[in-house]
Amino acid sequence: MTKFITKLLFFLILMPLLSSGQITQKVWYDGNSRAMFYRDALSGDLKDVDTTSTRSEGEGSTVIDLGMHFTPNDEIEIFSEIRIKNDFGYMWGSGAYVDLRRLSVKGVLNDRISFNLGDMYLKQTPFTLNNFVQELSKYEPSVFQAYRDLIEYENFYLDDYWRMQGLQSNFSYTFYNAISSVEADFFASRVRGVEWLGEPELLMLGATSLIKLENSLSVAINHVNSFEVQSSSLDTVTYYNPVTNLQLEYAKKINSLTYRLNLDFGGSTRGWRENNGTILFESTGGFIKGDLKAINKRMMVSIGFSYVDPDFRSAGAQSRRVNYISAPSSYAYYTNNTILRPVSMMDITTDPNIYNNRLSTSLMHYNTLYTAVTPYGEATPNRAGAKIDFDYKNKGASILVSAESAYYNEVIGQGTTERRALFSSGIMLTAHLEKLTPLKNKTSFEVSVSNENVERDGSDLEEISFNSMLLSAGLSYELFNNLKVIGGVKSFGGKGNEVGSQRDEYDQIVGYKLLDFDSKEDILMLGLQYNFTNDIYFSLQTNKIDIDDKTSEISQLSLSRIYFMFNMNL
Amino acid sequence: MKKLTYLFLLTAFLFISCEKDGIEGPSLNDLFGELNIVENLNVVGDSASFASESAYFTAKFSKIVDWKISITGLSSGAEKTIIGKSNEINATNSVWRGEVSLLPFFKEENCSVLLTFPSHSDTISASFVIIEAKNYGNGNELIVSDFENGFNPNFTNFFQSTCLKKIETGDAGQSDRYLIQEGTCDWDWLIGYIDYPANHWFQQGTLSANPDNVYFNMMINGDSTLSPTNEANSLFKLEFYEDENQDGYYDQNTEDRLEVEFDVNWNGWKMFSIKYSDLILAWNSGGNAIREPNKILKFRTLLLANPESGFAKADVDYIVWSEGSPILNQ
Repeated sequence: MTKFITKLLFFLILMPLLSSGQITQKVWYDGNSRAMFYRDALSGDLKDVDTTSTRSEGEGSTVIDLGMHFTPNDEIEIFSEIRIKNDFGYMWGSGAYVDLRRLSVKGVLNDRISFNLGDMYLKQTPFTLNNFVQELSKYEPSVFQAYRDLIEYENFYLDDYWRMQGLQSNFSYTFYNAISSVEADFFASRVRGVEWLGEPELLMLGATSLIKLENSLSVAINHVNSFEVQSSSLDTVTYYNPVTNLQLEYAKKINSLTYRLNLDFGGSTRGWRENNGTILFESTGGFIKGDLKAINKRMMVSIGFSYVDPDFRSAGAQSRRVNYISAPSSYAYYTNNTILRPVSMMDITTDPNIYNNRLSTSLMHYNTLYTAVTPYGEATPNRAGAKIDFDYKNKGASILVSAESAYYNEVIGQGTTERRALFSSGIMLTAHLEKLTPLKNKTSFEVSVSNENVERDGSDLEEISFNSMLLSAGLSYELFNNLKVIGGVKSFGGKGNEVGSQRDEYDQIVGYKLLDFDSKEDILMLGLQYNFTNDIYFSLQTNKIDIDDKTSEISQLSLSRIYFMFNMNL
Repeated sequence: MKKLTYLFLLTAFLFISCEKDGIEGPSLNDLFGELNIVENLNVVGDSASFASESAYFTAKFSKIVDWKISITGLSSGAEKTIIGKSNEINATNSVWRGEVSLLPFFKEENCSVLLTFPSHSDTISASFVIIEAKNYGNGNELIVSDFENGFNPNFTNFFQSTCLKKIETGDAGQSDRYLIQEGTCDWDWLIGYIDYPANHWFQQGTLSANPDNVYFNMMINGDSTLSPTNEANSLFKLEFYEDENQDGYYDQNTEDRLEVEFDVNWNGWKMFSIKYSDLILAWNSGGNAIREPNKILKFRTLLLANPESGFAKADVDYIVWSEGSPILNQ
């Protein structure tokens, strides 16, 4: 009997342990957290002149984005991310709210076809679907990381992907003949939902097919079609915009260099159609782009050309990140006339609330001062030109250099037969000084210069001469393990004249605005940053911000800012 | 690889050098440039007989611009306006066949011509002589009366004792004479009415049976500045009586009456034109409800005014039926 009881106890105790060892974990968690606080104080002349704005203002919040992953089986994962946010300055939950930030289901069918439902990140090519980076951000020193992380995270910017909702699926097959593999990807996304008495629902369908041949040649066909669903609105006119991009790539290794030759071409149609099938307006345009790239372990050189027709339109590729028709967070209204402050470099660099995260069916407004050459990324219409990119790092990667230069001409003149000549260039040098000097502590120095230039010949009325330059620098010195002193500067200046275009609802130019620029903007930054890891850090910094538009007596702003951020991305 | 590189460079060169003719959007010069008169205003012919001829104007400008040519009859006061947007005025955009934009009609007279630009202060003037005025109509019109021969006594009428109906010479809408209708009546809405029997119209003929093709036209001279409140005070009513059974009489129980009424809320001469099919069936009309202009027995014009608001005026001239379009379009 004693033996039986002993065996029974052994069985009862051991079996749950054994069985629990067989169960795979079905729910797991991750998340991101951030605490942010800033305070701006007016300084400079405006402090004395502007008697209606507050002397200082600021805000802050604590945010936790809790991600829950549920895997009912090996093929399916359900992911939801709940945001809990608490604005500083409130009590008992009055400034707190809980949001569903992301929800998606992804899985694999029969080990071959993967699918993703709900929130997803999508991109194709720079001409079909691409979230190109905002102006004044290329070659930005890493000491501005705290701001950049905030903007990208809050706006769901993941590289050049657009965050959308819908269904996505892809599969690939590998062969053992002339065709090495075939990959296919398609998606259906709802860009804009039903609006009561508003615009129709906007959907986007897209597909990519990539065929890799054994002779290092690959062919890809990309197609997206964004269109409004007529039946979802009382509107009688609906929009459509199919875009196709055919890509060819050939790669070959010669000696130590790998060469890649890429060729992209395709076209778009965009129009508005009435219920009865009558086309109110339609335009078609094509593009072609090619580049030859040579790569080895320490260097990359790329030479390319591109031609984009004036009538090329692609909602997925030409939607901009910065929304200039928005109110900035800091001192949105200023001066004694309480006017809306225009979006400036300070806002582009630091404010997540001026960013757009939805595709636009028309060309979005932009400020020529900050982006004159390619305001709509690589898909900017009415451009033909060449571009050179160069990346280099020395042995030991103590010095890194990146440079680019592009020269474009307009394909057709705007308002005149004279065409703009547009030139942009940039160079960035990163030096890890502890590898180059006797310094023992980690010290990195970054400096970059970006320049844009627009020229147009002709009469006094036609002539354009515009120049802008952004000088950025950053210095990071590690005081002791993981604690750094950081300092940086972004100094922007733009001067000259330009002619801004005014467009109608079909994006056709109907008028112009003669623009004069003489602007200077500076952001100085000094602070401390402690990195637990690359993605977990806190940063405490003080900023000095000056905006001086000499063409307008009222467009001046000077701010002193204290900024704190704790950021944790898991 | 070399061949591919050459091909790449060749393709690049081809596309980089791509250019399109023309311009995108409106011309900068047109929107912001200064206006220079490249070729002065010229009236081709200096004079014209509009019975068989037309005239046109020429000029050239340094940019596309909104322009306006105003021709004013120095004797009649008639006005013709031609507007356009171009950098050149020529026969394609400035032909004038003697028609009028603002009544009265032009006569055989001298005219002043003025070229102006709404967005610029430049003004250019010229002159023109009308040798023969334009005859309106396409040959199918029927003139009821132009009052040049006085008031037809067969046009039965009634006017209140305090009101006036008389033929006046000078300042007519067409030619020289017109009919004045005006007055104040503080006890009744009716100032006066006139019947125009079809068998006493100035020109005799049969109107088309198609109501969509028949237009009634009448010049009316209003003057609201004469009313005490300086507002439109005259109500004009037109009644058309059809003799459906062609027995020479109108029976309201079995035949149609069509009508229209409107405020005379303008000053000066204006051509009132209405398509017969747009007339409204009277509430007590007893006929077949088919609009039959070919069976019109008579029409009546009534001048009405609110007794409390005083003076009313609506002179008339050049009453005419036209076919195909309003008379001024012919």
